[in-house]
Amino acid sequence: MTTVSIWRWPTPNGLPPLPLVASLCAVLGAMWLTAPLVEVDFVRLLGSLGKMAAFAGQLFVEPDWAYLPQLFDKMLETIEMTFLATMIAVVVSLPLGLLAARNATPHVLVYRLTRDLLSLMRALPELVWALVFVSAVGLGPLPGVMALAFVTVGFMGKFFAESIEVVDHRPVEGVAAHGAGWLQVRFFAMLPQALPDFAGTVMYILDHNLRAATILGLVGAGGIGYDLVMSMRLFQYDRLLPIAIAIYLVVTLLDRLSDQLRSRIIHGARK
Amino acid sequence: MKPTQAVPSATALPPKPRNLFPVWLATVLAVLWLIVRDLEISFETLAYGVADMGEYFSRYREPDFSNLSRYMELMGVTLATALWGTVFALVVAFFLAPLAARNFTPHPLAYRAAREALNFMRAMPDLLLALIFVAALGLGPLPGALALGVHTAGFLGKFFAESLERVDQGVYEGVAATGANFPQRVMYAGWPSILREALGYVLYILDRNVRMASVLGLVGAGGIGLALHDTLRLFDYGQSAALILVILATILIIDYASAWLRRRLG
Amino acid sequence: MSTISIESVTKRFPNGFEALKGINTEIAAGSFTVILGPSGAGKSTLLRLMNGLETPTGGSVSIAGETLGKANLRKVRVHVAMVFQQFNLVERLSVATNVLTGRLAQRSWFGSVFYLFRNEDMDITREALARVGLTDKAWSRADKLSGGQQQRVGIARALAQRPKVILADEPVASLDPVSSEEIMGLLREICDRDGITIVVNLHQVDLAKRFADRIIGMNSGRVVFDGASAELSPQALRTIYQREGIEHDNSLDLALAYA
Repeated sequence: MTTVSIWRWPTPNGLPPLPLVASLCAVLGAMWLTAPLVEVDFVRLLGSLGKMAAFAGQLFVEPDWAYLPQLFDKMLETIEMTFLATMIAVVVSLPLGLLAARNATPHVLVYRLTRDLLSLMRALPELVWALVFVSAVGLGPLPGVMALAFVTVGFMGKFFAESIEVVDHRPVEGVAAHGAGWLQVRFFAMLPQALPDFAGTVMYILDHNLRAATILGLVGAGGIGYDLVMSMRLFQYDRLLPIAIAIYLVVTLLDRLSDQLRSRIIHGARK
Repeated sequence: MKPTQAVPSATALPPKPRNLFPVWLATVLAVLWLIVRDLEISFETLAYGVADMGEYFSRYREPDFSNLSRYMELMGVTLATALWGTVFALVVAFFLAPLAARNFTPHPLAYRAAREALNFMRAMPDLLLALIFVAALGLGPLPGALALGVHTAGFLGKFFAESLERVDQGVYEGVAATGANFPQRVMYAGWPSILREALGYVLYILDRNVRMASVLGLVGAGGIGLALHDTLRLFDYGQSAALILVILATILIIDYASAWLRRRLG
Repeated sequence: MSTISIESVTKRFPNGFEALKGINTEIAAGSFTVILGPSGAGKSTLLRLMNGLETPTGGSVSIAGETLGKANLRKVRVHVAMVFQQFNLVERLSVATNVLTGRLAQRSWFGSVFYLFRNEDMDITREALARVGLTDKAWSRADKLSGGQQQRVGIARALAQRPKVILADEPVASLDPVSSEEIMGLLREICDRDGITIVVNLHQVDLAKRFADRIIGMNSGRVVFDGASAELSPQALRTIYQREGIEHDNSLDLALAYA
């Protein structure tokens, strides 16, 4: 008999369930092992609190009012890049989505290949592609738009394919039974059914792309990111705060808008 | 003679409802055209660039794996950063989400405050946060992990809160009617009911954090991103190609692993 | 001696619906009371008021001399257990853990958020499960059980609270006749053996007549009958199940068809 304890877990033997303990140990063990890699140092972390406070204090200076028009321009550029890249991605993803949907693909080989291509395209973050495209076509919003569109196709194609795969097959058979051609079946029976899902996906991705676009400037690929990094590097705190606030406002606005539109599209269409 | 003189058709259809699709399409196209003008994207550059692109990408043809062990080490740091960031986010979201779920929250004010905090964390791009933390903590992966943690805590918290709000009202009342207090309600009616969904979200966030961690190096927050940045700056395409392949392979492995885990959970 | 006293309670929902239009009643300790009435009569609202799941618009509810308010809500709930129509178990937790939730109010939040319980809580749980005849199902997941078994877990959870009162809101409405019989028998036995006050909402007249000491008949938010179950005449039933504006119709037959 083990020592009598007054505490127990709600399991037959009173001990915590093994799978839970094992996975907890695994995560904690992994964290403990990787702590030196991440250079976790709680003393340093605590010590930095003072620095953080000082830094935060520096942020609250009078904004550089003369900078505001440029800030506006850059934010507009960021939004424009987002919109353009998303629209390009929609156009490219629609056919790719059809090819990557199990019930719409012309051949199972095409299906596999398209799926793999899409997963390769979305594997690397936008910033890596932005780096590559900047060194290919030079600085400016163009490489940013290309990088955004490229990665977005990877995500959107997959989402589109998934919403095509879940469409109701009866109308599809109905249209096919009337002698519609291969493309006609896909255009008149599958796409209309998947449309609400598509719209939801586009809203979601628009939201995601805006966040991504705000930081592309970091590598010279256009948008507000460049100003952000420069004001940080040059200690121009009178610009940093307005930039941060502008990003916060625009991102939050689109976030709310897309939440509302998505729920309206999805729930409205289902009712 | 008017050729359009309509012969009354046998079955006159009711007037077709006005389809606004062409209008929308035209508007979108016009806006896109304006954007292209405003961004000064010249199609010549693009065409020129595309022609050159083939040549450009051919430079990546011969990946140079001579520094592979160093890359693996950097990738290890990247993965560790993602792990720490995700766990940090999980801990923060675990405490904030019940406050931000309308049915569980102990007070409407706590609900508003938690929601706003989560919104704020989500709105701050992780690279911006990384920049700030690097300024405060110095270079290294720790500020990167913190930045990932803060940013994705906003996402996880929102996902968790939305799942908690979908918990069956009856189950909630069943636990509440025994006289359980707020933490007990959350632990008994809340988390067990959404466990599977929540694990899916955590895996998704881990996946995302691995991608982001591989670029955090750009702002000095450790990991493999900085090495890629440097080799690209030096036009060392062989090494860049090797780095990209290492990142790609890791992300694909993580992607498949998490897809497999999600399937097993689901 | 009365455990529950309800004084001129009214309840109006935010959408303007007046569920209760002034209820006055006392429920004696250790009694078995059935509240009978057509759907929408306010039975459920009345029961939920006694556990604080709803707050009255006017009037007051007191349990064992303590008036229910925001401040003492949890303290009162410890003594007033609730059994639901849809069982309301946490489906992903084991039966034993579901019963242990009945002990939560007795424990500080600190141990219980880690799912740590005292051995005595486990003993109470074992006893409660034995009472409802589910000892062998203790470690199954709650959603693997049949409806009748889940309702027995619900009763075990109520018993684990060691309550003074058990409120049962349509406990058999989602069950087949055999399970309904079992559940009502179980509640009756709990009332007789442990002296726990039991209040049950029902719409089955025959079950009410057979198991209750006292029947309260409700119609459109008012008490229209109150007496021993033997006193429930066809005339009384007609009052309970009458519809507003219709003097004499087939609603009695309807009520009996329900039964």
